[in-house]
Amino acid sequence: MKDIIDAATKDALSVFGGRATEEFQRRLAQGRLCSTRCRACHAVAFPPREFCPDCHGREVEWIELPKEATLYAFTQQQRGLRFLAPDVIGLVEVQGVGHFLSRIDAPFESLAIGMRLAVGFLQIAPGIWVHQYRPARGVPDGPHDP
Amino acid sequence: MKAVVAGAAAIPVRRKLERPVRDTAAELAFAAAADAGLPLSRIDGLFVSPPALGGVPGFMWSCTLAHHLGLATRSQALVECGGLTAAVAFKLAVQEVRAGRISAALVIAMDVRADDRAEDFEFFIRNMTEDLLGLYGPYDALYGIAAPIPYYAMSAQRYLHEHELTRADLAPVAVALRRNAEKNERAELRKPISVEDVLAAPMICPPLGLLDCSAFASGAAAVVVAREEVAREAGRPLVFVRALGEAHEAAHFAPLRAPLSSFPSARAAAAEAFSGARLAPGDVDVAEVYGVFSATELMLYESLGFFPEGRGAAAVREGLTSGTGSTVFDPSGGRLSLGHPAGATPLYSVVEIVEQLRGTAGARQVKDAVVGLFHAEHGMLNGSLVGLLEAG
Repeated sequence: MKDIIDAATKDALSVFGGRATEEFQRRLAQGRLCSTRCRACHAVAFPPREFCPDCHGREVEWIELPKEATLYAFTQQQRGLRFLAPDVIGLVEVQGVGHFLSRIDAPFESLAIGMRLAVGFLQIAPGIWVHQYRPARGVPDGPHDP
Repeated sequence: MKAVVAGAAAIPVRRKLERPVRDTAAELAFAAAADAGLPLSRIDGLFVSPPALGGVPGFMWSCTLAHHLGLATRSQALVECGGLTAAVAFKLAVQEVRAGRISAALVIAMDVRADDRAEDFEFFIRNMTEDLLGLYGPYDALYGIAAPIPYYAMSAQRYLHEHELTRADLAPVAVALRRNAEKNERAELRKPISVEDVLAAPMICPPLGLLDCSAFASGAAAVVVAREEVAREAGRPLVFVRALGEAHEAAHFAPLRAPLSSFPSARAAAAEAFSGARLAPGDVDVAEVYGVFSATELMLYESLGFFPEGRGAAAVREGLTSGTGSTVFDPSGGRLSLGHPAGATPLYSVVEIVEQLRGTAGARQVKDAVVGLFHAEHGMLNGSLVGLLEAG
């Protein structure tokens, strides 16, 4: 079944993805989580765009996002399409960007809002990557509740 | 020119439609027109949802129905805007009537959510994977998001966290809505439940358990929106569309920067509707809101302006939402117990409000209901439409 899902994902990416999605994937494969920043208003978009969704400027540049994040919210899917339980997903808050969806590679019970996280990468299908986060080691949990 | 809801009809919400979509649409078209006291030949506008928001194809469905029903009109459209679909179809009908272009519009909305067509497993998985990537986009979908529940669960988690509440504070919502549904023959879930049942139900996406979630359902509803004088001639009770408000954010499911514990689109749509009707939340006797999860229901009571942020749970616990306050919420049983055929849900809300304002809601009748509100949304409250109706 994974083969079918992988093939369908690849097909659907060619329909619903775009040049920014391709570049995002290319950088994920190199172990870099990147997005685009507007050269005019300096807002960082996520996910990346070839334009600025904040001020609609057409000049943007690719930047690597900070490797650390704070856990903004999290839950667990019982019946997701791709991962077996524990299928923990969360919204991670990255400074200067906002909160966006990611897989969380840790048991649900070990997590708390405000926890410090570090980014990692996972190849889910041939040539298709995602970013995921784990609790950061050696960094004390702070009063980080965003 | 004033628009009134002149006729309303709905079938029971169930897991499957009892009859095929074409027969269901025809049955409701005749029922809504009869309820309006108008022959179908007086209808000159047709606005419909697709037969289903997923699965069953809807290409040219309004054209198919116009042909099937024998309706020549001056305005026709198939509408799609996620969970807001039926509300937008209703809005188009109201606008065309108010503009004086048409005299009576038929709005038909349905959703077939149990699709039993024989498909081989590979075809099904392939289609589902592609549909989900289209729906959740080329970033979120890669995590295997199979339903919007995780987003709503994280919204619920933030709500509880920010207001220092627990799962137990959500449970009375499901109990109160089920109590309403017990009196509604259209409701999908009518068996009484307790707070203990809600807390003991299987966990779906924490903190949301099974009974915190709206029920998977199919359904269909129809209304006739007419010029005031057309409805008056027909001698039927008048329910005026006082005002509509609508707002959409530049977000799809989880917003990048906005909080998840309140809903700006609901706030903005309500503000526009209240200002347009020169009414305030305290004037609303009965409301049907698009609370597809228990926590969402509470956040909506707050974002629509009925209670301060974080006070929704206490309001439910104190009975303020089910009779002792100024507004009764979701006498239909709401999304959790009436059931949630998303493509038709907003029209079910209109039908419920119309019956309440006419005083024909039977065992669920809210006493002396004059002003009613309905709310609908798409995504995770990324867009909202609020309507205020008033008995004439």
